[in-house]
Amino acid sequence: MTESLIWWSIIIYLLIAVGIAILSRQGTSESMSGYFLGNRQMNGFVSALSYSATTYSAFMMVGLAGLTYAGGVGALGFEIIYFAGVSLVAIFGPKFWAVGKKFNFVTPSEMLGHRYNSQKVAMAVSIASCIFLIPYAAVQLAGVGYLLQGTTNGAIPFTTGVVLATAIAIFFSYVAGIRSVMWTDSLQAIMMIIASTLVAFLVIQGLGGFGALFDTLATEHPQSLTVPGSGLFGFITFLGLTIPWFFFSLSNPQVSQRLFMPASLRSMRQMLIGFLVFGFIYTLVSVLWGFSALAAFPGLESADLATPSLLGSEFVPPILGVIVMIGIMAAAVSTIDSIMLTLSSMLARDVYANVRPGASEKRQLLVGKIVIPAIALMALGFAELELDLIAVLSVAASSGLVAMVPAIIGAFYWKRGTAAGALVSVIGTGAFVMFLYATGNSFLGLPAGIWGIIVSSLLFVGVSLATQPHRPTADEFMQAITDELGKKPKTATDRPSPGTTAYSKN
Amino acid sequence: MQRSRWIWLVWAVVLLSYLVPYTLLTHVQAWYGSFLFWTVAGLAVIALNLLITKDFEEHGND
Repeated sequence: MTESLIWWSIIIYLLIAVGIAILSRQGTSESMSGYFLGNRQMNGFVSALSYSATTYSAFMMVGLAGLTYAGGVGALGFEIIYFAGVSLVAIFGPKFWAVGKKFNFVTPSEMLGHRYNSQKVAMAVSIASCIFLIPYAAVQLAGVGYLLQGTTNGAIPFTTGVVLATAIAIFFSYVAGIRSVMWTDSLQAIMMIIASTLVAFLVIQGLGGFGALFDTLATEHPQSLTVPGSGLFGFITFLGLTIPWFFFSLSNPQVSQRLFMPASLRSMRQMLIGFLVFGFIYTLVSVLWGFSALAAFPGLESADLATPSLLGSEFVPPILGVIVMIGIMAAAVSTIDSIMLTLSSMLARDVYANVRPGASEKRQLLVGKIVIPAIALMALGFAELELDLIAVLSVAASSGLVAMVPAIIGAFYWKRGTAAGALVSVIGTGAFVMFLYATGNSFLGLPAGIWGIIVSSLLFVGVSLATQPHRPTADEFMQAITDELGKKPKTATDRPSPGTTAYSKN
Repeated sequence: MQRSRWIWLVWAVVLLSYLVPYTLLTHVQAWYGSFLFWTVAGLAVIALNLLITKDFEEHGND
């Protein structure tokens, strides 16, 4: 594919996306929940596509294909365990949604601060999220850089790709906050699922069909079809990679914040199921890309080049290769802009508003908007460091965010949980994970990904038991869930769902 | 809401996704080994989530 074809495609994509972003505006929103949550009125279909686009980033198409290329089928197992973890949304989603509606929460950290009756908890969660998510966003940016550089043989240098993606992400966030982000996400998700499936189909056909592909793998790379296989997916490593990702849907605020947004529980269900179907197809496609690259180009110098090599190969018509490449760039953008919005909402709502009590909604929103480009520039700086293997870096972020999980679960299920427990768990685990990564990611033979959940659970439970909970807020919080979810079921005028059994509540 | 029953099956799928490929399937070097197992596990997760969230429909737009 030529450089000019790529540039023209980027321009066409931008024209369409900018159009959609502008169309998504609905008057001016001067409230925090209007700008950051779409007034809690997002429909299920857009929510599902956007949830997918936010979760599945450049990591998926570049990183997961690369991980399959390097380590074989274990990459699929890794992703399927993450995928199963999204079922946590089915359990926690309605609870988040209920308290969000009742107390007008804008951020998950605000929710924790309220539940534990402590501004410090809200601030700690916000700041820890920034510390771990900015590198994660940087990984997405680096993905774009590698991709454009790889597919054009260096004609579009790494830095150009990274700067371009940052600029687009800032723009999409600014046009209409979460609404423009979600609508452009949807465009990206639809474009990507069609184009990437087509690529997988064409490449597998080109390699002689599904059977021939797996025959080639079985004879030339037999270890790629088993775990631990060539050794990359040893069981301990697999555990260390998968545990943090299992909790991703709770621990990552850019996705848990989405649980506040659906217009109804029905919309939330559409979001969850839509995401799962989308994610399943996307996962298989990415893994098949990695396998195809392994069969077709066994000697690549870096596994992250698997996807670019495939897209530039004779199996893929140039125009389709370009569409997918733009799609991957858009995927990185859709992840970054959501992260930027979430982090800026947290800094405005949970740090600024707590430091300056009485700050108006308008003022908070202004601060949020100022913070957006600052976060983007920090991610840009990290991306320029060009760190290795994309997947492993993303997991470093997830290991750190696992620090929030016990406090989140405790918020809903354990009235005995205390502010001190939450605070020590978040700060202590965050520091511990960073220390482990700085010293070679191994303690007593186990990686940070495994230690994160153990340490955070022990700290949360231990410190909570040693301190006193704030009963009134805990009771009020739990009561709100019962009240909201216990409201009278739909009336006969609503659409009935076939096969639904009698409504039961406990 | 009574969603607890099916979610336990999801956790069972997760447990099997750790155990089976690392024990029974370590020598099955073909598409019908770990590749098929994890693919089916993914489909099972989708089906279980449909069951778990069935009563969300009834909550409607309130």
